[in-house]
Amino acid sequence: MKPSILKLEKLSKTFDKFTAVNQIDIEVGQGEIFGFLGPNGAGKTTTIKMIAGLLQPTAGDLSIHGHPMSKDPSRCRELTGYIPDRPYLYEKLTGSEYLSFIASLYPQSANGTDFLGRSQEYLNYFDIEEWQDNLIESYSHGMRQKLIMTSIFMLEQPLIVVDEPMVGLDPKSARIVKELFKSKASEGKTVFLSTHSMEIAEELCDRISIIAHGSIVASGTVSELKQEQKHASENLEDLFLQLTGAFELQEVIAALRNNQNDNVLNRTL
Amino acid sequence: MIPRLFFPYTRILKNKLFSGSVFNLKTSLISLLGLAICVVLYLVTWRTVAYFHAQNELGIILSMKIFQMAWITIFAMLIFSSMITSVSTLYLSKDNELMVASPAGIDELFNMRLITTFFNTSWMVLLFSIPIFAAFGVVFDSGILYWPLLLAAIPATSFTASAIAVVIIIILVYLFPARRTKDIIFYLTLCFGIFLYLIFRLLRPEDLVNPEKYGQFIEYLSAVSNPAGPWLPAGWTANLLSTYLLDQRIDWLLLALIILTPLIIYFLGELAMMRLFLPGFSKSQESFGGHRSFRRPQPKQYRGWQWVFKKETISFLRDSKEWSQFFMIGALVVVYLYNFKVLPLERTFGTTYVANLIAFGNIGLTGFLAASLAARFVYPSIGAEGGAFYLIRNSPMSMKRFLCYKYIFYLIPFTILTIILIGVSNHFLQIDGPMWWISLVTALIICWTVVALALGFGTIFADYNAENRAASMGPGAVMYLFCAITYTLTILLLGFSPTYRLMRSWLWQHKGLPLFDALIILAWGVGMIVLSLLTVYVIYRRASAALKPR
Ligand SMILES: Nc1ncnc2c1ncn2[C@@H]1O[C@H](COP(=O)(O)OP(=O)(O)OP(=O)(O)O)[C@@H](O)[C@H]1O
Ligand SMILES: [Mg+2]
Repeated sequence: MKPSILKLEKLSKTFDKFTAVNQIDIEVGQGEIFGFLGPNGAGKTTTIKMIAGLLQPTAGDLSIHGHPMSKDPSRCRELTGYIPDRPYLYEKLTGSEYLSFIASLYPQSANGTDFLGRSQEYLNYFDIEEWQDNLIESYSHGMRQKLIMTSIFMLEQPLIVVDEPMVGLDPKSARIVKELFKSKASEGKTVFLSTHSMEIAEELCDRISIIAHGSIVASGTVSELKQEQKHASENLEDLFLQLTGAFELQEVIAALRNNQNDNVLNRTL
Repeated sequence: MIPRLFFPYTRILKNKLFSGSVFNLKTSLISLLGLAICVVLYLVTWRTVAYFHAQNELGIILSMKIFQMAWITIFAMLIFSSMITSVSTLYLSKDNELMVASPAGIDELFNMRLITTFFNTSWMVLLFSIPIFAAFGVVFDSGILYWPLLLAAIPATSFTASAIAVVIIIILVYLFPARRTKDIIFYLTLCFGIFLYLIFRLLRPEDLVNPEKYGQFIEYLSAVSNPAGPWLPAGWTANLLSTYLLDQRIDWLLLALIILTPLIIYFLGELAMMRLFLPGFSKSQESFGGHRSFRRPQPKQYRGWQWVFKKETISFLRDSKEWSQFFMIGALVVVYLYNFKVLPLERTFGTTYVANLIAFGNIGLTGFLAASLAARFVYPSIGAEGGAFYLIRNSPMSMKRFLCYKYIFYLIPFTILTIILIGVSNHFLQIDGPMWWISLVTALIICWTVVALALGFGTIFADYNAENRAASMGPGAVMYLFCAITYTLTILLLGFSPTYRLMRSWLWQHKGLPLFDALIILAWGVGMIVLSLLTVYVIYRRASAALKPR
């Protein structure tokens, strides 16, 4: 087995009396792309915030590259690059100012001068090179997302943790981001991402875990998961829906269709 | 070289001030205005102090004493507002995720948050107190050493205030269980109220105007010239400067205290931050607006204004940073009114005359109080709509309507406050007759205008995506305060002579008003209303223009 980079053991997080993450175990090896799936409010963001060192776990252990987060948080931060689900951008900075600020925070890139070259490369991939000297307040939603992606890729961190990376990207950029993740993984970097897109999970992720109500309900490679399931559904989406307890889905759909029929009926009457 | 975490702040400042690397018009106007305020403050203080100075020894000491008290009060307010601010800067800043998750050290973060808290809360105090202290220096013809003392002591004291506040907040957020974090500020404000009250009771401002309490004049003199608040950093600064002014002597002990205290507190703060920040930050994300359910609203159709009122009230009451300031205001009001109660009116000459004079001055004080409260609550209210403002912009409600609703909403508490302040202090002063009405009506008109100005300036300078609330109080707030104070002073200066004539005939003759005096007072009343309406109209036009889609 490849050396493990990220290891969560019986990790839990409780808000007041509400358990958002319940004793989850995850281990991600070097060079892996790991997908974290689950319905809204399942606990993905909470878990990722604990990995980023923003929330302290109520119980359990978390270590990055063998450094426990509880003992050596600063070493863990040096190894991780993190993009939150709703990243904050300074509206009154220009894109390149933002990038150079981020670079200055990370010692590896602060020392080397080539972060600038790398950032240009990614800005170029994403087609926002000519915008880099404009204030961020003038960027569109997708452009912001691209800028953030640039910042994470240029840092060359050994562990990349991203909460829903593809939101708002056009098809071309989404494709590029996927390719970039793959190339990072082949360079030996590790990617941990949460997503709602079955397509990304299937195409990109070496392994996935599905979380529902704070607990992990399935994990493994996509084909393993498909085999485990009795009905052997070909479709990951059906599998996901089954695992995350979407029994009511059929009823909801039926009710909605009924409504529709009624409406049509009413209109024709 | 500037530490790296400051980069966004310095750069944002630069990008805002120098759009396109030239000093733009707005920036230069604002800096000119700041300069003008400094000069005016300097001149006014200079005149006043020179007047006292030319009188006798007592005049000098009195002027100093009053100044010391003001400075100590400002210090207390500074600590308090730094506490409120540092909850936002330390734990609620939007860029926290980015900074905390990065490898930048917690000590760096501490430096950055402390310094920004310091600037956000103290720059106004620095801007305004330096010219005042400078005027003292010039009048007293102090030695050359006064200036370095001044420039070291004042910032050191304000820095001490911010650092104390930050340390307190770090410890409190860590100590309190997550669920109870909202209570912290409640206790804080309560402590602050008591603190403010104690300061005032210890300083006993009323003794200043009551020489007869002391057997001998010399006893009075020594009581008055006693150092104020020997256990407070602000007291040290005031005493250091006044000792130097009076005897050209530097009190080295005080100087050492003033310089060392901020350093010591700074290191304590860093220690606290390294140990306690991360658990506290983790907790704060759970507790500020944590996992709590509220009553579901009734399915009812609200009218526009009801909706605005309801939303404002709810968001105010659910934000403990906001409503807890009621306690601060409560403390201020009590201290304020108490001072009227203990004024030894019976013993001073011409009681009624003095009481009426004070009542007239009281209009101005209430106006300033309303202006500063409006700066705190009304000014940021449009910017605080933040990202959700598009809802209102897109709704069928017109922006003008919306502004009016907001205005009326804030008018209610301010009106009540003004009526209480004027009513109770007039009661303590035993005012009756025309002065009662003059003070009430004038204070209300001033209060209404000042609130409108706050809303207007707040709209024109609204910052919808400040990193935190403290950062949204920029130069616009100073501009607002300047306009509000100028307006208040204009009304009062214009009104002094007409009121004086009216009171003279009422107090001493009881013969009825001469026609000329009646005309003058009428002219003042009409002038006041016209000036206020005009001010409100202009600011309203500018504000609704600022909200137009561009
Ligand atoms: N600060 C907080 N205080 C209280 N409860 C919280 C807090 N943050 C999250 N929760 C709760 O924890 C649960 C998990 O939330 P989380 O944000 O991790 O979901 P998620 O899986 O990221 O969902 P989504 O797909 O919608 O992003 C939710 O029920 C949420 O209400
Ligand atoms: Mg999420």
